[in-house]
Amino acid sequence: MKRSSKLAWATWFLAVLLLVVIFAGFFAPYSYDTQDRDHPYARPSRVHWVDGQGKWHIRPFVFATKNREGSFTEYQEDPSQTYPLRLFVAGEPYKVLGLFRGHTHLFGVPVPGRIFLLGADGFGRDQFSRVLYGGQVSLFAGVLAAVFSAAAGLFLGMVAGMFGRPLDDVIMRVGEIFIALPWLYLLISVRAFLPLQMSAVAAFTLVVMVIGLVGWGRPARLVRGIVLSARERNFVLAARGFGAGKFYLMRRHILPAALGVVLTQMALLVPLFMMAEVTLSYLGLGVGEPFPSWGSMLANAQQFHVISSYWWMLLPGLAPAPVFLACHALADVFQERLKTAV
Amino acid sequence: MPQTIKRTALCALAGLALSAAFCTPAVGQDDILRPPAEAGRLGGRLVVAQSSEPKTLNPVTALDQPSRDVIRRLTADLVHIERDTQKTVPALAKSWTATRDGKSLTVQLRRGLRFSDGAPFDADDVVFSYKLYLDEKIHSPQRDLLIVAGQPMRVEKLGPYTVRFSFAAPYAVAERVFDSVAILPRHLLEKDYQEDRIAKVWTLATSPDRIAGLGPFRLKQVVPGERIVLERNPYYWRKDAKGQKLPYLDELVFLTVPSRDAQVARFQAGETQAISPLSAENFAALEPEQQARHYKLFDVGPGMEYNFLLFNLNAGLESKLPAVARRQKWFLDPRFRQAVSAAVDRAALLRLVYRNRGAPLVTNVTGGNKLWINAALKPTEHSEAAARKLLQAAGFSWNRDGGLLDASGQAVEFSILVSSSNVQRSQMATLIQDDLKKLGMNVHVVGLEFRSMVDRVVQSHDYETAVMGLGSGDADPNSDINFLLSSGQSHLWRLDEKQPATPWEAEIDKLMQQQLITVNYRQRKKLYDRVQEIMAAETPVVFLASPNILAGASQDLGNVRPAIIDNYILWNADELFWHTPTGKH
Amino acid sequence: MIRYLALRLGHGVVILFGVSLLLFLLQQAAPGEFFTDARLNPQISEETVKALRAQYGMDQPLPKRYARWVMSVARGELGYSFAYNVPASSLLWPRALNTLLLTIPALIISWLIAVPLGVLSAAWRGGWLDRFFSAGTSVLLALPDLLLALLALVIAMRTNKFPVGGMHSLTAQEMGLWSRFTDLGWHMALPVAVIVIGSLAPILRQVRASMSEVLDSPFMRAAQGHGLRKFTLLFRHALPAAANPLISLFGLSVAVLLSVGLLVEVVMSWPGIGPLLLEAIMGRDLFIVIGAVMLSTLLLVLGNLFADILLYAVDPRIRVQA
Repeated sequence: MKRSSKLAWATWFLAVLLLVVIFAGFFAPYSYDTQDRDHPYARPSRVHWVDGQGKWHIRPFVFATKNREGSFTEYQEDPSQTYPLRLFVAGEPYKVLGLFRGHTHLFGVPVPGRIFLLGADGFGRDQFSRVLYGGQVSLFAGVLAAVFSAAAGLFLGMVAGMFGRPLDDVIMRVGEIFIALPWLYLLISVRAFLPLQMSAVAAFTLVVMVIGLVGWGRPARLVRGIVLSARERNFVLAARGFGAGKFYLMRRHILPAALGVVLTQMALLVPLFMMAEVTLSYLGLGVGEPFPSWGSMLANAQQFHVISSYWWMLLPGLAPAPVFLACHALADVFQERLKTAV
Repeated sequence: MPQTIKRTALCALAGLALSAAFCTPAVGQDDILRPPAEAGRLGGRLVVAQSSEPKTLNPVTALDQPSRDVIRRLTADLVHIERDTQKTVPALAKSWTATRDGKSLTVQLRRGLRFSDGAPFDADDVVFSYKLYLDEKIHSPQRDLLIVAGQPMRVEKLGPYTVRFSFAAPYAVAERVFDSVAILPRHLLEKDYQEDRIAKVWTLATSPDRIAGLGPFRLKQVVPGERIVLERNPYYWRKDAKGQKLPYLDELVFLTVPSRDAQVARFQAGETQAISPLSAENFAALEPEQQARHYKLFDVGPGMEYNFLLFNLNAGLESKLPAVARRQKWFLDPRFRQAVSAAVDRAALLRLVYRNRGAPLVTNVTGGNKLWINAALKPTEHSEAAARKLLQAAGFSWNRDGGLLDASGQAVEFSILVSSSNVQRSQMATLIQDDLKKLGMNVHVVGLEFRSMVDRVVQSHDYETAVMGLGSGDADPNSDINFLLSSGQSHLWRLDEKQPATPWEAEIDKLMQQQLITVNYRQRKKLYDRVQEIMAAETPVVFLASPNILAGASQDLGNVRPAIIDNYILWNADELFWHTPTGKH
Repeated sequence: MIRYLALRLGHGVVILFGVSLLLFLLQQAAPGEFFTDARLNPQISEETVKALRAQYGMDQPLPKRYARWVMSVARGELGYSFAYNVPASSLLWPRALNTLLLTIPALIISWLIAVPLGVLSAAWRGGWLDRFFSAGTSVLLALPDLLLALLALVIAMRTNKFPVGGMHSLTAQEMGLWSRFTDLGWHMALPVAVIVIGSLAPILRQVRASMSEVLDSPFMRAAQGHGLRKFTLLFRHALPAAANPLISLFGLSVAVLLSVGLLVEVVMSWPGIGPLLLEAIMGRDLFIVIGAVMLSTLLLVLGNLFADILLYAVDPRIRVQA
């Protein structure tokens, strides 16, 4: 009962999140690289209902902001100029999935007004829009890497479990070596090797796939364990007695048993690999400008002036939290299912 | 990390055959020791941060900036270039005279000096030190500086306090070569030298009593990965106007704090009491609390660093790197480069990257180089229309979506390489990308870790454009000669050229050679003005901006006079002192 | 037992060799090397760079370089740092100790907090305490470590109550033993807290899960039926029975002792192995990188070995197998 509802909400939640991120162009008021050079480090916009004359409005609005005299990043609102917040407004053109063009945004204010829900960065780019676009890199990096390493782990783990020595030994030892390797070092060499003409996003995706491939050690170990124990289970022994071949056994009996483990592993690996992306980008080795990722956005906070003066620049650090929550919830559910299934 | 490639006026001469034209002999110097601006009081400890731990304390092998920063406080040179005036002043040498033919220089040493361990100093130490720097087997990075016209200088002892240096060719600014070449104690190092161990002495693990120099401080303690503590050298030779022996400080501590931003946090918290360089943004963040936290910030004005967008114009890439060669066709047209230059909004760049604490550039000569800048040249005006006109004239056109196409109908798309750890240059690349997008160019910014990037620019030539920065080490045309000469080692846009590839590069070569042997300032300035004119007109690279030198120090610290050549604050560490008795507040 | 241990040790040695070989191959593949920097410096001639490379044996073929390195490991040097011009081990050891100074207390504190809380959670499953902890661990798991480290830095910068980095105050030298100790503790407080918060959740969850399983088992129900006191029941009987997966997890936390603090060390400038490794990676100081990774691998091997021995001691079934 409770478990299935947990599964449902976690799945729904992730699905919605993925949709929002994929349709970032629609949900974000601006493009990720639209600079407003008059508004570097603008605070999150205040949404008002009461105008300068103290009059109430049904439709919320924002005021125009201007640089405070003698300052670069301090702004004051100009209550004489208001820009109403509207839904489904026409704005900058965007593409979804690189295919569909659009220029309708979920919300926005008329130009030259600006709305920064999460503030603006040093180029006056809207942080909220960038968080949505950044999810494309961070989420997909995590999911893709997890799929890769789980698939590689599943395959190698099954091979190791089924064929036994000496193949088993070789695979497991190599797996342990890969577990011990520092991916940071690996990644720098891979990144530096890629052709520059490749777009930054594509290059990064490739790098993430490489991490994924290198991360097969742990899932392979677990799968191998499952295979070994499944091999000794009565129904498998019986099937073997009837003359079932190795591949048949793998496909029919062992793969289903291993899948549960792999799913659990994937749910745990997605946050792990997303974290890898955040760390890498923080160290300046992630996806390149101007495309954002949650890690590279947080990397701004390395700068003293950012961390000391612009608190909203830390907000992208919270962006992965809901994803992690959902993933851990999923992992819990899978794990409990496994337990009851055994 | 040394992000700016430093060089000095001297290195420019290294390896270059000076034409046999006349060089006037340097005038003999009197023993003028300028006392500190303000007589201070003894005592206290100054703490500063470094980005990485010094790799060595060995002056013969030191390569990195942190090592040199520490070593220069421990050692002294014969003749010193004073960082604020950029003039040479006598240091261990009391005076020097050059012969008429400019081929040799005789140095009189100060008498009665002692190393920091109390051992006396004389001509043998000087001869010994130069023997080490010049020894081929040791591969000292300083060695290349001491080679004139392809031959190492000769060093002979003429008396206990007299040394003669002779060169294979006339050498006009010979005394400048002595700056920062540390004199070593023969009594401590001779045995190691004979046993071929010089490269391995004076590491951070060496016991402090085995290290001695003639600088204001001596080594007290090394805590690996954390800090290096220097203490007052009781035998130091400089005195103030009152006859008080320098330095004033009891201790000078170098903390290792890896990131520049963490260094700022430490400075703000009062854990360090001086900081340089500061980024303009961090400068602005520190500004409001100057009074409350009791520190003072300095904007020294334009420095010597010049940042530019580099185009890969290297020849012979067709077979090796066809993809780069295809884009090179655009870059090789000066009108394309000028269009890019016109499209770059330098005002926005200065405001967003440097908070207007910097200046736009026309050439490699920065505003800090007041004696040599060609004031007639004005920065390129930001104009999209002008850029479009230039592109049109060069045969480019636009498609329906506003994308730029070249004459053969190919979309203009290329990448800008930038060192990902350099915040300012990354910001510049992002701004340029956005500016060029308005012209219909599809530009990618690729952040690479510094070494990979340099490897591409210098070794493999596998890049299209790059945002880079260089720093002139001295306010003299010679300090940029390697950048300007077509055969120079940092002639980055076209490296390894046998012959100047274009007539204007040939002209620059000629002018630069000529100014090398021209003594009259006005004649030389005229030559250099012409060089700048050509650089501005041909735009081999798009010069962007030069940041001001920014620094900060505790309000209680006296004699702080930040210079525009490094080390910006510590160059006069022997004169710094605390106004308050203990250096605490 | 001896045979079993020898086998595990053999595995460890194979892993160490494999990792070192892979690292050598990788560095061969990466563009740029330590001397790239020197090449751009016009003060240094081409010949000097060449000579320097030769001096470090970098001009020799890979197998030869590897052999050289293995020899230096045998001498306890772990290779030579190009940048520091000293044996790599002399750089790595003191920093590894600093790192351990940070991570071992963090590890102990995490376990000391997580085990009782996990046991209590499992004992009152579904109760308000359990729900509170499970919500808490979910939140902790969801927060990126990096954000925690940055928050710690903000706290230090804003409150001025904690140092904004480093390991000692400068005046520590002149202090008495006790104030030096408290000074160190004061510097450790924030980084240790970040590591503890970051590693607490998985341990707590594992303790809860294994305990739940044991508490559901028939023998525990029987014990409950006998009317044993709940405390005795939980900590004397259930916890040891739930120990197996916990021991493996403990082995794992030993294995990551050197790497778990990397981000915190970098953000809070703790003079541990993290900043050194990062600098070495950026500077292509090959042997430092290899050395740091080898130490990390060594700990992994030792951690696993440690867990194996513990399991061997605790669980009789393993003894039969071996």
